[in-house]
Amino acid sequence: MGVVSSIGLGRAAFWASLVEGRSGTSTITSFDTARLGRGLAAQVRGFVAADHLTAVEVTRAGRCAAFALAAARMAVRDAGLADAALRTERASVVLGTTMGEADICAALDARWIHDGADAMSPRVIPKYAPYLLSMETAQALGCRGTVLTLPAACAAGNYAIGYASDLIRAGRADVVITGAAEMLQELQFAGFVRLGAVATDRCQPFDLDRQGLIIGEGAGVMVLESEEHAVRRGATALAEVGGYGLACDGFHITRPEPSGAGVVHALREAIRRSGLTADGVDFINAHGTGTKANDSVESTAVRQVFGERRVPLTSIKSLIGHCMGAASAIEAVSCVETIGTGVYPPTTGYVTPDPECDVAVVANVAGRGRADVVVNHSLAFGGYDAVLLFAKPDHLPPPDARGVLA
Amino acid sequence: MRPLAVTGLGVASPLGLGWDAFRAALAAPPGAAFTTSPTSFSAPAHPALRVAEIANFDPRPVVGDKGLRNNDRLTRLLLVAARFGLEHAGIKRDGAFANFGPTDVGVCGSTAYGSLEAIHELDAVARLEDPRYLNPARFPNTVINSSVGYVSIWEELRALNATVTNGPTGGLDAFDAASLWLDAGRAKAVLTGGAEAMSEGLWHAFRRLGALDESPEVWAPGDPRSRGLRLGEGACLVALEDLAAARARGATVHAEVVGYGAAFEPAGDGQPMVHVSATALVRAVNAALAGLDRARVSMVVSGLAGLPALDGPERAALAESLGGVEVRTPKAWMGETLGAAGAFGVAAAAGWLADGRAGDCAVVTSVGFYGNASALVVRRPE
Repeated sequence: MGVVSSIGLGRAAFWASLVEGRSGTSTITSFDTARLGRGLAAQVRGFVAADHLTAVEVTRAGRCAAFALAAARMAVRDAGLADAALRTERASVVLGTTMGEADICAALDARWIHDGADAMSPRVIPKYAPYLLSMETAQALGCRGTVLTLPAACAAGNYAIGYASDLIRAGRADVVITGAAEMLQELQFAGFVRLGAVATDRCQPFDLDRQGLIIGEGAGVMVLESEEHAVRRGATALAEVGGYGLACDGFHITRPEPSGAGVVHALREAIRRSGLTADGVDFINAHGTGTKANDSVESTAVRQVFGERRVPLTSIKSLIGHCMGAASAIEAVSCVETIGTGVYPPTTGYVTPDPECDVAVVANVAGRGRADVVVNHSLAFGGYDAVLLFAKPDHLPPPDARGVLA
Repeated sequence: MRPLAVTGLGVASPLGLGWDAFRAALAAPPGAAFTTSPTSFSAPAHPALRVAEIANFDPRPVVGDKGLRNNDRLTRLLLVAARFGLEHAGIKRDGAFANFGPTDVGVCGSTAYGSLEAIHELDAVARLEDPRYLNPARFPNTVINSSVGYVSIWEELRALNATVTNGPTGGLDAFDAASLWLDAGRAKAVLTGGAEAMSEGLWHAFRRLGALDESPEVWAPGDPRSRGLRLGEGACLVALEDLAAARARGATVHAEVVGYGAAFEPAGDGQPMVHVSATALVRAVNAALAGLDRARVSMVVSGLAGLPALDGPERAALAESLGGVEVRTPKAWMGETLGAAGAFGVAAAAGWLADGRAGDCAVVTSVGFYGNASALVVRRPE
């Protein structure tokens, strides 16, 4: 696995910061926020593209693709995967994002607005596309199979990893580089502020006095392999991707549907398609944006699925912010670390319980407990609900015994 | 790939709104849809200004006039295509479910650059006025998946909703995603396809790249003398269902989708990443036809667009993998519709195969701008 985040580059640094409860929030310096009344974000600092990318790639890639590619290279190294194993038709790239190369797009647009359309450079135009992060990654690693981008807004990571698991289960790929990336950008920040979603000082998921989200950025990428491919090369699996569930609220473009029916469906599907029942889930990585609406709807859904059983739940958005398209991918990395260590990272800023969020928040300091099965929640613009289940290797019933098509 | 049924076709295109108008236009010679004075954006006369747009596009007669105020053109195109597709498939009748319910039906659509118009609109407010004046109700339009998301809201489709973005191949790749999700039982029907909206920014970007046709006297996609592409727009969403299940419910099957392949070929060392790969397309076609009878392929519905850098490799790949098979080219009728192109290719294939005179099996092909390629196999229903 590879991570680019506001609290560390690489899975080890990222995980150590999470367990410690270290926040990645800082004052925004890349653009002027004076007029917006909000000025904090969980920015990736100290990222030097040239540490991870070739000179040509540095020149070509925007910040989002650079994040993706850096995290992909970290993941490949972490997996101990030989370069040759990727330079094949059996290797694919499936990544998620919300905006893709938002800095390139903004720069082109600024030239057009201020200097006219003829100021848009034909040298720069091909560097913009929302799907370039996947192209850059496939180009760099030499993957020759399916290369696809799923722009599923804040659920993009779960969509991508779920789709990657489908490709492998359908026998279409042996190895898939998958995850998501997103960068902080001025228009998108201003838009979230205008939606009234951004907190002034900190993100306090599930707290009674929560005031909104803190925007973050980064990338989370994992190497997904078929069991056969992993066994053949003698690799150690960190976790198994179980089933996943998708639903669409069909209610509002930004607000979650109040009953939480879509989240309930997605969560139940993830569990059912893994061959489990709700009793089998040990830990929830919540979407937990810290907005009023999200956290109460998500809590309602959790209560509906798990009943009186209080499954420990955390939102690491209190530490790394809401990394939008990258959120559920970075959080997927956290889920797998929890499975490996039995440690539940903390939800910081949790002071006053909210009766509308009657869930077992891992408050302020890391916890520890059973971690054979972890679910990763994501809700997104468009009314998307996507839940992905991870399990300790060899824990889930074999696919043909699950009674469902994975 | 388990065989899938196209049970309804929803089309909003420069060739007309609705499947019948689209199919009729494809039976006539190409060219009529192009204009040098578009209504969708204003630009001074220019030799490269020749696009296929839906002139004076008005979604209201199809989807009503309530709640459209903050939707962008891309969303409006998709809403029209979705309504037509659902009605054509018999999933809805007069706007109400007639087959299936909300949790049975999903949406999977492609767009390549669909949010550009909204990004530019909001950027202009933020830069020329004040970011505090950004309209929060229009901000979601800057997010790529929001247009396809609106289809689920508008039509109450709750099974799943997904957007794929992969440049011109995305409209074919959406069929693969939908097929994986149908196979897994996540939905009983998925509105599948893509959309791209004409916009000033899109036109300027391709103009600045020098990619647009300025020599109408020799313009013909696939013709080596042709010097550039022409932009088009539209939305195409088809109702996709498991073939056996569609037959069991007595649905009219307009076409079968029976094979898909995708491939990527990196640019060589020192080569620009913007490149079109014949190798990738040959591999994609081979993968799409795996397990099928190649001899039955009677038609290629190509992605040829009129720009030599794109068309050269595609023609070479088609000659290698499907040499001798008749090639038809929807972009001659409607221009390069980018994220919608693959879906329009499927619709065109369904239309051309329908009367049997073009044989009974088409391969729909598309090449991307960065080394990817995709192919889909469409069959005339038995």
